[in-house]
Amino acid sequence: MCIITISRGSYSSGKEVAEKVAACLHYDCVSRDILLEASDRYEVDEIKLVKAIHDAPSILERRGRKKETYIAYIRSALVSRVRSDNVVYHGLAGHLLLRGIPHVVKVRIIADIDRRSAMEAQREGITLEKARSAIIADDEQRRKWTQSLYGVDPWDSSLYDLVVKVDRLSIADAVDIVCDAAKREAFKTTPASQQKMEDLVTACAVKAALIEEFPEVMVLSEYGNVIIHSASGGRHAQKIRKAVGALETTIGGINSIEVHADGNAPPGSV
Amino acid sequence: MKPLTLEMIMVMSIIGIAVFLFIVEWVRVDVVAILVMVGLPLLGLVTPKEAFIGLSSNAVVSIIAVIIIGAGLDRTGVVNRMVTPLLRIAGNSASRIIIAICLAVAVISSFMQNVGAAALFLPAVQRVSRTLKIPISRLLMPIGFSAILGGTVTLVGSSPLILLNDLLVPFNLKPFGLFDVTPIGLALVGSGIAIFIILGRFILPRGESESGETASLAKSEDISQMIGETFELHTPADFTLYRDPVMVGDLRRRYLVNVVSLVAPPDFKILNPEPDVEIRSDVDIALCGKEKDVRRMAEAEGMLLKDHVEVFKEELAEHSSGTVEAVVPPRSPIVGKTINEYDIHRRFGATPLAIYREGDIYRSDIGDMALRVGDALLLHGSWKRLQGLQKDRTLLLTTPIDVELMRPEKAILATAWLAASLVMILVFKIQLSVCLMAGAIGMIVTKVLSIDEAYQSVDWRTIFLLGGLIPLGIATEKTGTAAWIAHAVLGAIGTVSPIVLLAVIGVLATVFTLVISNVGATVLLVPLVVNMAIAANGDPRMAALVVGLATSNSFILPTHQVNALYMGPGHYRSVDFMKAGTVVSAMFLVVMIAMIYLFY
Repeated sequence: MCIITISRGSYSSGKEVAEKVAACLHYDCVSRDILLEASDRYEVDEIKLVKAIHDAPSILERRGRKKETYIAYIRSALVSRVRSDNVVYHGLAGHLLLRGIPHVVKVRIIADIDRRSAMEAQREGITLEKARSAIIADDEQRRKWTQSLYGVDPWDSSLYDLVVKVDRLSIADAVDIVCDAAKREAFKTTPASQQKMEDLVTACAVKAALIEEFPEVMVLSEYGNVIIHSASGGRHAQKIRKAVGALETTIGGINSIEVHADGNAPPGSV
Repeated sequence: MKPLTLEMIMVMSIIGIAVFLFIVEWVRVDVVAILVMVGLPLLGLVTPKEAFIGLSSNAVVSIIAVIIIGAGLDRTGVVNRMVTPLLRIAGNSASRIIIAICLAVAVISSFMQNVGAAALFLPAVQRVSRTLKIPISRLLMPIGFSAILGGTVTLVGSSPLILLNDLLVPFNLKPFGLFDVTPIGLALVGSGIAIFIILGRFILPRGESESGETASLAKSEDISQMIGETFELHTPADFTLYRDPVMVGDLRRRYLVNVVSLVAPPDFKILNPEPDVEIRSDVDIALCGKEKDVRRMAEAEGMLLKDHVEVFKEELAEHSSGTVEAVVPPRSPIVGKTINEYDIHRRFGATPLAIYREGDIYRSDIGDMALRVGDALLLHGSWKRLQGLQKDRTLLLTTPIDVELMRPEKAILATAWLAASLVMILVFKIQLSVCLMAGAIGMIVTKVLSIDEAYQSVDWRTIFLLGGLIPLGIATEKTGTAAWIAHAVLGAIGTVSPIVLLAVIGVLATVFTLVISNVGATVLLVPLVVNMAIAANGDPRMAALVVGLATSNSFILPTHQVNALYMGPGHYRSVDFMKAGTVVSAMFLVVMIAMIYLFY
C-alpha cells in the first residue's frame, strides 16, 4: 500500500516500467488522465495544462503566473487521485508535486543518451545527430521547468528514493527493483502518513480555489487546520478572508481556516 | 416665613451651578463636589470646619469601611461563593441575573444601610459582569436603585424612616410599626425592577463588560467562544505504544487545543507545560479549547473526555489561575519577534492561547507569527506567574484585576469580621462607621488584605463626591434656604385635596433629597407637612410617611450615596442618572401615592 511516482526523460522506457510495475502490484497507472481530470474540474483547456507542465515558463509567463495557476490545478487533481494509494504515477514532477508524503516511492528511470537517440531516430525517421539534439533540448526544457518552479534539478539523484538506469539492467529488472522497494516497510502507509496525504489534498484544493484571484498565497493544512499565508498585507488578507468563507463547506476535511498576512509561509506550504 | 436673604440666594445659586455642572460635565462630578466644598466657606456660607466635616461624616467613613470589607470578602472568594447560587438560579440571562441580584440587594437593604448593601454587592456584580460578559453599566444602576428602593420595605431600611416615629412624637400621632410600610416598599421594589427589565434597553447606557475597558477583544468577540473552555481528559493505557511520541505542541497544532496542565507519572502535576513535553499513557491532562476540537481530539487519540475538571480542580480554580489579555506595547523588546523566539512560554510560564490582531483572532501556528505593536495575546497561567509577567512590562496586561492573589484560606476570617461588624451594629447599637471600620481594620490586622490593597480598593471619586455635597446640605439648612423653599411651595399651592397635597409633598421631598441629605430633608419637612395636612383635613401620618418614603426617591442625580458609589465603577455620567432616574422617580411617586391611596 503506497504511491509510486516514476520520473523519466523521453525514450527512457519509464512509461513501460510504470505500466509493468502497476500490473505487477495490481495498482492503477495514471499519467495524462490527471490532466484530463484537472481540465474537467477547473474548466481549462487540456493543451494549456500540457504546456504548463512541460515547458519552462517564459519571462512574461513568470510575471503573469498563469503557469503556476495551471500547475496548482494539476497538483490538486493529482493528489485527489492518488490519496487512496495503490497508484503508479508516471509524469513530470510527480516526486515534487507529492513532496512530504512518506509513503511515496520516488523513482527516476534513466537511460543512456545513445540508446535514447537511437530510439528517437528510428521512431521519427531522422538522423541520429538530430535525434540526439532533440533529446538534449527536451531534457533541458524539463530541467528549466523544474528549476524555475521548484528550484531543483531533476537530474539531482538525492530527490529520489531510487534511480534505475535501463541499460545493463533490463526493463524487467527495473520493474522487479521498483516492486521490491514498494513492498518495503519504509514506504508502508501509516495513519500519520495518510493524515499528511489528506492535509496535502486539502491544502492543494484550497490553493487551487484561490490561486487565480490571489496568486501569491501559500497554503498549509495540518489535521484540517488550514493557514493561508499572504505576503500582501492586512487589507489584502481581508479580501482573502471573504473569499475563503465559502471554502469550508465546499472543500472537505477543513476544520478551521485562518489567513495570516505576515507572508512567512512555513515549510510544507503549497 | 423668613424673608429671602442674600445668603439664601447664594446657596440657591451654588445649587444651581452644581446641578448645571453635573449636567454638562465640563468637569467631573467629584471635582464639582470639591469646588462646592471649597466655595462654601470662601463665601462664608459654612464654617471651614463644616466645609470638610463631610470627609469625617458617619456616612463617608462607613462607605470607606464597607468598600474595604467588600474587597476583603472578594479577595477571599466569599463574594464568589455568595454569587454562585444566585447565578445558578439566574442562568446566563441578563434579565434573570438583574432580577436575582436586585431582589437579594433589596432584601438586605431593607434591614441595613442602603449604601452598605450596595457596597457589599459591588465586587460580586463586577465579577458577574466579567464572567458573563454583561456590560457593568447594565447591571449596576438597577442594582443600586434596588438597594435604595429596598430601604423603603421596612421601617429600619433607611435613615428617614428610622427617624420618622421620633418626628411624630411632638404631634401625638400613632407611631408606625416595623412592617407598616412593607406593602408600599414591595410595590416600589417590584415596579423598579420591572422598569429596568422592560425599559432597560432604552434607559440604560450601552456599556462594556468588566475587563473590556482597554481591550478590544471583549468588544468584538466573545473570548470564551473564541478560545473555548477548560476540559479534563485521560489518556489511554496504550497511548504511547506503536507510535511517535505525542508532544504538547503536537496537540496544539493538530487540534488547536492548549494543554494547560498534565500529570507526569507517577503523579507529578505540571502546570502550563512547554510544547516539547511528552503526553504519556494513562495520565490526566487539562486543556483549553473549543468543545468541537476537544471532542475531535478525544476521538482521534482515544482519550476519555471527563464531564468535569477533577484532578486539576484546585490548580485551575478561579483563584489559582486564569486567562489574561496582554498587549504588545510600543518599544517593547518583543516587537518583531515571534512567541517562540522570545520564548514566552518558558520565560513567563504562561501558555499562549491566541493572538488578537486588527479584529481577527489567530489560533493556528501563533508561535511563529512576528508580533506587532497593539497585538493582544491571550495567555493562560497561574496568577503568581502572570504577576511576574505584569512586573516585567514586556507586555501590558489589560485584565489586571484577575491577577490578584486570591486568599481562599482567609475566607473564614473575612466572614468572621463581617459578622463581628454586623453584631456590633445590630446588637450593641454602636455607630455604623465605628463598627464597619472595626471590621475593616480587623481584616487588615489578620492579613485578609494588606493596608495598601485596602487603600487601592477605595474609590476616592465617591468619597469626595459625598464629602463635598454634605456641606452643601448644611449650608442649605443653616441659611434657612430649605425652610424658605418648603414654605414658599406649600404656601403657593394653597388648600387642595388630600391626594394632591400628598403628591406635592412627595415632589417637594424628592427635590429636597436630591440636594440635601435625606435625613435633613425629613427633619425639615415632616413638621411642616404634618401641619399642612391637619390644615387641609388630610391624614398627617400619611403626609409624614410620604416624606419618609420620598426622601429615598433620589435617582435623578448621583447625589445619593448609593448612586455616588456606583457612578465610577459603572462608568456612568450624570445624564445616565437623569435619563433612568427620571423614569424611576416618576414611577416612585405614582406607585407610592397609589399605594397610600388604596391601602391606607
